Order: sequence, then structure tokens, then C-alpha cells
Amino acid sequence: MSYETLSDAVVKGDINTAKEETQKAVEAGDNVQDILDSGLIAAMDIVGDQFSQGLMFLPQMLHSAKTMQECVELLKPHFQEGGVTTKGKVVLGTVKGDLHDIGKNLVGMMLEGAGFSVIDLQVDVAPEAFVAKVKEEKAEIVGMSALLSTTMPAMSQTIKALVDSGIRDQVKVMIGGAPVTAKYAEEVGADAYAPDAGSAVIEAKKLLGID
Amino acid sequence: MALLSSDNIKKIDLAGRSILERVGLKISDESVLMTLKSAGADVDFANKRVRFHGAWLDEMLRQAPGQLNLYSRDGKNDLRLGTGRVYFGNGGRVFRVLDMATQGYRRTLLRDVADTAGLVNVLDNVSFYVIACQAHDVDLRSYHLNDFFHAFNNTTKHVMGGCDTLDGVKQMWDLSCFIAGGKDKLRERPFVSVITNPISPLTLDSTSLQIIEFCVLNGIPLTCAPAPIAGATGPATLAGTLAQMHAEALAAVAISQAFSPGACVMYGAVPSAMDLRTMDLAMGSVETAMMSSCAVALAKTYGLPIYASAGVTDAKVPDIQSGFEKGVSYLLVAMAGADYIHLAAGMLDSGNSISYEQFVIDDEILGMVYRVLNGVDVDANTLAVELIERVGPGGNYVMEEHTIKHMYGQFFYPTLSVRKNFDVWEKHERPTPLTRAHALVRQWRQEHQPALAPEQVLEIKERFAGIVNL
Repeated sequence: MSYETLSDAVVKGDINTAKEETQKAVEAGDNVQDILDSGLIAAMDIVGDQFSQGLMFLPQMLHSAKTMQECVELLKPHFQEGGVTTKGKVVLGTVKGDLHDIGKNLVGMMLEGAGFSVIDLQVDVAPEAFVAKVKEEKAEIVGMSALLSTTMPAMSQTIKALVDSGIRDQVKVMIGGAPVTAKYAEEVGADAYAPDAGSAVIEAKKLLGID
Repeated sequence: MALLSSDNIKKIDLAGRSILERVGLKISDESVLMTLKSAGADVDFANKRVRFHGAWLDEMLRQAPGQLNLYSRDGKNDLRLGTGRVYFGNGGRVFRVLDMATQGYRRTLLRDVADTAGLVNVLDNVSFYVIACQAHDVDLRSYHLNDFFHAFNNTTKHVMGGCDTLDGVKQMWDLSCFIAGGKDKLRERPFVSVITNPISPLTLDSTSLQIIEFCVLNGIPLTCAPAPIAGATGPATLAGTLAQMHAEALAAVAISQAFSPGACVMYGAVPSAMDLRTMDLAMGSVETAMMSSCAVALAKTYGLPIYASAGVTDAKVPDIQSGFEKGVSYLLVAMAGADYIHLAAGMLDSGNSISYEQFVIDDEILGMVYRVLNGVDVDANTLAVELIERVGPGGNYVMEEHTIKHMYGQFFYPTLSVRKNFDVWEKHERPTPLTRAHALVRQWRQEHQPALAPEQVLEIKERFAGIVNL
């Protein structure tokens, strides 16, 4: 099946048209996996290409991601039990003592757009709060953000808390934020470092072995 | 804050007029003295001095057009001077180029005339091309012909050039008429113009006068731009150098009107300063920028479009000094509302050298300057009070339609400036504006195409035997 109108709508971030097209396809009895692959994911590939070439700006990419997300919601009830899974569950938050959230929010939006399920703990998140949520949700990734160099040690403390509670080997840790570097990530024993929201998606996929 | 109050503009203007009455200009050319005499000027034949009395001066200046058009060949970059628009172009004519491939300097060649024209052709914020450098590999008798031919063959933008001899102007004119399809067509849409200069202080040599006369009689727009150096060929005070420069600039406009009433001429201004510690030329000095900015106000007093100057630096390489000297200079002159700003791309080394990378860097600075000139638009939609209310405390604007609607128009997006996250910057081997400019120049060299059609080039070469192949 060709989903040109649907793909176009996702690329343009036109939520209404995209949802209508998705609904139409479902009602016509199309294979939902096909709608997802040929319509929605294909569109996001185009979006990714255009973004990396500078033809599309971040807010537009986020619009496309949100459009995709809403369409996936429409598809979900039509998948067989266990037929549609998210790419992975990510627990996200700005670390303890830090109230800066725009970067973390962008990462969340991008991850959701890419098909991850995101649980956002917001800001000033204590190490034990990260641990509790990871356990509760059986999350595969925990993402931490810090804008202040003074709050960066909370990343290390959170990783230690994951170790102490015995779940460090069940979850991947990804960190980011202005003062954070790849070197720092290595020092504190994080599994990945993402310098920006786009890289966060790439790194998250790598962590879970998704191409 | 304006650099000059209206009172002080008036004082400088009156001083300039007084210089023209009391001292006048030294002109040795007998036939020009006769022409000016019969046009009503006060000519002292014995001392070869022409004095400009107020009423006669005003009568001449009134005939000079307040608006004039300098055309591009393809109509895409026509310059409408005197309409409030600000245009930037490069400047000439230097003798040295910084070669990034070897990190060294070399003498400029005809290839560099062609290549600078080609590069200017693709720079969005550089609207006209000035013959940038001396073609040291071309015979002195035919470099004007070659300069202009290779400029035309590489850019469709308006081409301006400094002409050194009457024969040189004629070479340019013959070629331009041929390309235009006749002299009337060239007169109708002049896509080429000429730069001459008086010699400061207060002297106009015969060759320059012959060139001015030839241009105005043939409808070639021009400027005769004084370039006094404060502390050397002008007084060490900014006001004094401005007064003298103003006198020289007005005299040149008046003379061109005496030759041909209504002639298309720009008030010219290339003031600069000496560093009196050592007598090094300080074309990148803040005073040079200030005087160029003040000159705009002086030209506007008479409603004359100005050939102004900005963007010269004394730095020898594209570096921190070139960045701040150029930035200050562009802003001061552009914000004064100059119509036509030359020297604004590629310049280094006090106007003696160019660099291809610097052209690209300057284009980006000019993008910022244009953003400043576009100002801050304030209306209900841009104030966005309803949006701010809807997003509310703690929200964000990233996903708002309003953001997408305005993100292109509100911001200037640089291509050379480095805004990357530190780690990403390191991963990309620490790019700087200069390394990025170098990469763009290399890319341009691979992609650039001639501006004239091959068959037209053949016709031109058949007709003009002196053209050198590149």
C-alpha cells in the first residue's frame, strides 16, 4: 500500500489530516503494521533526513513526531495482543537540585516521536525517585539531564543508587546537558551520552540494539 | 545615538562650503578649466584654482539625481540608490591575496579578478562587484579590458571598477556596449560604473577629470571619491577631515554636473586615518568607521546617494581583529543609512590584500547587519500576549505554531558561526568560522560556472583581440 497523503501529513506535522488518513486506512481494513511501516515510519525517515540537511527546523521535526505519536495511538487498539510494542521504556528527569527542563523536554518529545514510551519525572528528581520508577515501570533506559555543573554529581549518585538497589544491570543509563561531556559519562559509568535531542534518539536506539 | 547632531552636520557642511569658496580645488587641465568657466565657475587660470561659490555650487548640486539605478545584467540584483535601501559590495584594487592553500600571500592575477567576481556572484549579501585586484599577469595596456571582461564572465551583478586611464575607460565602455547590444541600451540600463578619486587635499588631476567627463557624457554612472587620511592628507581632527572630504566630494559632484547636467554621480567618501605613533595606515580604526558614518549624514544633507566605505581592516589574516574592526564599521555605516557601501567584502591588510575566505566571512557578518537593519517588528501577533497566556508559567514554546510561523523571519541563521554543543564541536575537529569559510570556498571552486554564454564569449573574443584566456 502507498500512504503518500499520510506520509506527507506527518512530514508537514499536519495532525488532523494524518489522523484522518490513519483512520481511513484502518477502516479500509489495511494491515496496521503496514500503515505503521509504510506510512508513519517512512515519513519520519524523510523528516530525519530533512532535519539533518538543515531543511527542517527542530520545532517542525517535533510537530512531525507528535503527529506520528497520535497516529500510533489510533493504531494501537488494532494490534494483536503484544503485536505492537514501543521501542522501549525511558524514565527521564532533570537531576536533584536542578530545575532546568527545556533540554530534557526536547529529549522526551524526540524519544516519543521515535516510538519510545517516555515516563517523565520532571525536575529536581532524587536518586531514589529514579530507582523507584525504573523498578515500577521495568524501564530499559534511564535518562538524566543537568544544566548546572554543580548538579552533575547527582548523576553519579543516581547511578550509585541503581547499583545499590541491585538493578544497575537491568537498565541503561543515558545522560546529557550543557556541562556534560562524553568523558564525564564514561567517568561516572553511564552507558551513553547524548549532546542533543536528536542524538538522544540515536543513542537510545543503540543502547537497545535497534537499528 | 547619532554620531552628529543636526547642528554639527550643518557646521561641517558650512565648513566644507567655506573651503570650496576660499580655497577651491586645484585643477591643472586647461580644457576642464575652460569648461568650468563657461559653466559659471570662478576659475583662476594663473593659479589653476577653481572656487565654488554658494549659489553656483547649489545650482550644480540641484541637478544631480537623488535617485539612481545601478543595474545587474540579469535584473536580479538591480540597485536602487536613494530609496533607503542599503547595498554592500566589495572593493578594489588590491595587489596581494592570502592563499589559504599555502597559508602565504602572493601577487594577484587575472584569475583572481575572475574568481572574486564569481565568488561575489554567489554571496547573498554582496550586491555588486568591484574589480577587486590588479591582474599582474596582464599587459598594462589591456588590463582594463581583461578586468571587465572576466568580471562580466563571472558575475551578473553590477560591476564597478577603478579606471586609471582614459584609454582604460574606453576599453571598458566598448566592451560593455557590445555586451549590452549598443550604447543606447547601456545608457538605459548601465550595468557597469566607474570609480575615480580626487587627490586629497583638494586636487583633481587631468586623467581623473577626463575619465569623469567621458563617463558622464556616455551615461556611465560614477563616483569621484575623496580619500583623505586624518593626520596625513587631512587634518588630525575628525571634523576637519570630514569638512575637507565633504568639500572634495561636493566639488566632484558639481563638476560632473557642469560637464553634463543630470549626470548619474554618487557623493563619494573614503575617509580614513593614520596611526600617528608610526604613520601606519589605520583603515580599520574606529575613527575611520566613525567618519564614514558621518559622511552619510553629509551626503543626505544634499539628498545625494552615497558611495560609502565600510569593512576594511588592518588585520593581515581573517582573525579576531578583522572580525571586530569589520563589525563595528559595517554597523556604524549601515545604520547611518548609506546607499552603496564598498570595501565591504574580502578586504584585509589596510586595503592592500584580499582573502577568498574573508569574502565568505564578511557575507555572514553582512547577514547580521541586514538583520539589524530589518529591526524589531512590533504588532499584536509578534507581541504574542495570547500565546504567552495560553502557554502559561512553566510551559514552553517549542511546539507552538507561532514558533514555526515566525522562526524563519525573526532570526538570522549563520552558516559559519559555531553554535554547536562543546562535545559535538570537538567531535567535528573544532571548526571555526575560518575553517568553515575555507571549506565553502573549496566547494564553490568546484561548482562555479561562467556567467556569459559560450557563444557570446566567442563573439566577444573575436571582436576584442586583447582578451586573455584563463
